[in-house]
Amino acid sequence: MSDTLAKPKTYLGVPVHRPKVAFFELSSCEGCQLQLLNNEATLLDFLSLMEVVRFREGMTGGTDDYEIAFVEGSVTRQDEVERLKKIRETAKVLVAFGSCACFGGVNQLKNRFSMDQVRKEVYGDHPIDTDVARPLESVVPVDLRIYGCPVKKEEVEKIVTRLALGSEVFYPRYPVCMECKANGNICLFELGEPCLGPITRAGCDSWCPSNRAGCWGCRGPADDMNITQMVSIMEKYGFSRETIVDRLECFGGFSAHIETFRDAVDIREKVQKT
Amino acid sequence: MGSKLAFSDVVNQKHHRRSDLGAFEHTYKAEITSIHRLTDLENLYRIKIIDAAERERFEFQPGQFLMLELPGIGEAPFSISSSPSRRGDVELCIRNAGSLTSFLSRVERGTHVGLRGPFGTSFPMEKMHGQNILLIAGGLGIAPLRAPIAHVQENRSRFNNVDIIYGTKDPAHLLFTYQYDMWRADDIRLSVIVDKADAAWTGRVGMITKILEEMFAERGDAFFQNTCAIICGPPVMFKFVCNMLNTKDVPMQKMFVSLERRMHCGMGKCCRCNVGSTYTCLSGPVFDYWTVMNLKEAI
Amino acid sequence: MIFRIIKKTELEKLFNVLSDENRIIGPVEVGRDQDSQAIYGFRDVADFRQLALDYTTTSLPAKKYFLPYKEDMATFRIDGKDWQKTVDYNIDAPFVFFGMHACDINALNKLDKVLMGSVYPMPYYAAKRQNAFIIGIDCEPQTYCFCRSMGADTVLHGFDMFITDLGNRYFVEIQSDTAYNLLKKVRAEEPLESDHVEYMHVISEKKKKFTAQVDTTDLTKILDMEFQSDVWKQWGEKCLGCGTCANVCPTCYCYSIEENVRIDLKAANKNKILYSCNLIDFAEVAGGHNFRPERHSRLKYRYYHKHRGFVEAYEESLCVGCGRCGEACLADITVPEVISSVRGETS
Repeated sequence: MSDTLAKPKTYLGVPVHRPKVAFFELSSCEGCQLQLLNNEATLLDFLSLMEVVRFREGMTGGTDDYEIAFVEGSVTRQDEVERLKKIRETAKVLVAFGSCACFGGVNQLKNRFSMDQVRKEVYGDHPIDTDVARPLESVVPVDLRIYGCPVKKEEVEKIVTRLALGSEVFYPRYPVCMECKANGNICLFELGEPCLGPITRAGCDSWCPSNRAGCWGCRGPADDMNITQMVSIMEKYGFSRETIVDRLECFGGFSAHIETFRDAVDIREKVQKT
Repeated sequence: MGSKLAFSDVVNQKHHRRSDLGAFEHTYKAEITSIHRLTDLENLYRIKIIDAAERERFEFQPGQFLMLELPGIGEAPFSISSSPSRRGDVELCIRNAGSLTSFLSRVERGTHVGLRGPFGTSFPMEKMHGQNILLIAGGLGIAPLRAPIAHVQENRSRFNNVDIIYGTKDPAHLLFTYQYDMWRADDIRLSVIVDKADAAWTGRVGMITKILEEMFAERGDAFFQNTCAIICGPPVMFKFVCNMLNTKDVPMQKMFVSLERRMHCGMGKCCRCNVGSTYTCLSGPVFDYWTVMNLKEAI
Repeated sequence: MIFRIIKKTELEKLFNVLSDENRIIGPVEVGRDQDSQAIYGFRDVADFRQLALDYTTTSLPAKKYFLPYKEDMATFRIDGKDWQKTVDYNIDAPFVFFGMHACDINALNKLDKVLMGSVYPMPYYAAKRQNAFIIGIDCEPQTYCFCRSMGADTVLHGFDMFITDLGNRYFVEIQSDTAYNLLKKVRAEEPLESDHVEYMHVISEKKKKFTAQVDTTDLTKILDMEFQSDVWKQWGEKCLGCGTCANVCPTCYCYSIEENVRIDLKAANKNKILYSCNLIDFAEVAGGHNFRPERHSRLKYRYYHKHRGFVEAYEESLCVGCGRCGEACLADITVPEVISSVRGETS
């Protein structure tokens, strides 16, 4: 099999480089990597574009001779910091793979609490090294991001194909609403459901809204999104600040934008307590 | 009891006297016959339509553009850089600036590309006969200007004084340096100026407007009243140049500029190239400055 | 013009005649909003009883059947440095549109001007448009309908037949010989003078029900004068830049192209997606320069295209006043309010 896979490919006469890639996971559910294995129909084509040298979910063993590293998960422990730095040293291209790697993901919800509280709640008296959950780029520079919780395999294939061709990788810069309308969905606000579709980067083909579940923003902010207006729209539809902030904070993609709204919640809580 | 409606097949159906529907997405298959590296960013591609009959029919006017497509990679508009009288192939001067052009910079001679067009308006060269001509280019603006330059060279006696003013960021970005002597040999006055000199540069340093100012001082007002200008380059540059020329009473309708916009169709459908509410692909890319002044957001 | 009168029961018969051998698309109730109000959409319909002929406005227009949101324009087979291109207009059978309002037919007529009437007719649209058998139906003006201001509350052409509800029967206007022949298969009668009188009564009653309006007097000039107006910035601050207004608009036709290489590198496709001028990268050119980087400049551009540029080119605006954009906009940006604010008529 490896013979046919290793045969050099070209596209329109341009040689296509078959990079050695490795997959790694930090604190995560490894669900993004599983997405790749899910697509049996194109798996062989995928492997013919990339030589996978390390992939815990798909193979045993592996080497540390790779050019592209796909790293899933957020950084929550010191040993992960060290591993990530080492990966960065080896990889020519470091890909933040999935929402946890890009923004901290669901993991970063624990950052709302004190780490002592978190450790006690989850592990009791068992000693454990765990700290705030951070995206990869808070530790090392990241070259490429693949958004989503989980990543959308069709998009991953598109990106991988572009990487192999040496073409520029691009994402939709518009929000999920574009795809949601194209899919003919009823706007979830009409059904009384909160949704972050208007400010979240598209590319998921409105996966959740098409299944009548509001968007939680797993792909992070769309370019030039209008979060101030989004929050006031949600308030107009009767959603509380807590509901809104919970949603905005879920995956960490909006963390740079929500300080003002979070403060508003804290202030109100304080007012209620006194 | 049922009633099956008749299917109307539009494939190759003559829709208008002027065009058939099949033409919309028709691509001339063409071959890249040579790739000439001009700078580290720009290449000059010579491209030949493969089908002899299609090649025979193909003609264009200076200032018009083609849509060039690499299947699966993308399609974009490029103004034609070669002489309209040159039959058999076209030359496109292309900067590596996006995903299509970056892939294009890696293909080899012999690769097939798709061409659609030519599209758009052109520089009205005939109307400029008997006049002084100012051909002004900034940066990559020399690419669309090269077709009118070729026309002027081939019909030199029909024009009065001809000046080319060409400015770039630095000497390394100068394009078509190998042609400067030929232009001069055809009695065209060429002034080249760079923003920033390098160690080897002995020419002029500064902005294009500096050359224009000198020209204003040197030539009388009457000269400019019989002058047509073609200006290609970044909008901020042609705005300055056109306004300067207007102080010498060069009529705005005798100054021509070429606008650059993103385009997907070239045929007034996708709206990507709209300026104000005008389609650059249909009403442009060549506009006279009076029209540009009346377009919102053109410059 | 040829008119007929058919009993209401005959409409179902007509439906059955057509549905036997043709695909039928019509208005249906697709859900209920949180206030239990019906939400309508166009869907494939197999049974006459599924049709909601008394529908208000569908959330999404009929556009997707003529201009799909996503459409393959061409596919390529790659062979070394060579390739073969295959173009498909993506339609192989005629279809029936059963119950389209005047505004939506007017919208198609406007699209016809750009997509079929120009030097470069667009076959992808033309193929679908020419294969649509359209039955128009009258409607009840809603609070957001300003079609009357845009001259789109009635429709003169662009359909096969148009039916108006006269209580126990329909008044039918016939515009194509296909429709004429089709009506022979049901019981249709010549209208009497009393039918004419009742038809005129119905439309004059309808006229009274319009509440929303847009003043288009001198609008092209006013838009030019107010190009730098601060009101654009105010609307821009509200705008989400989400493209919903364009997606729900029956006349927005602009698009984007995405080309993709198949993962086995043996094929590629050229995909067209309907776009919106409100999206951040709409006016961006190679090298990254953006001619309309701010939301307000993009929102403004959309109004200029619809209410100025198109008027300049075709003597009519690229808006039928269906009110969908205002209804769908979460930020409550509506055409009547934007235009009246530009006119300095603060409400």
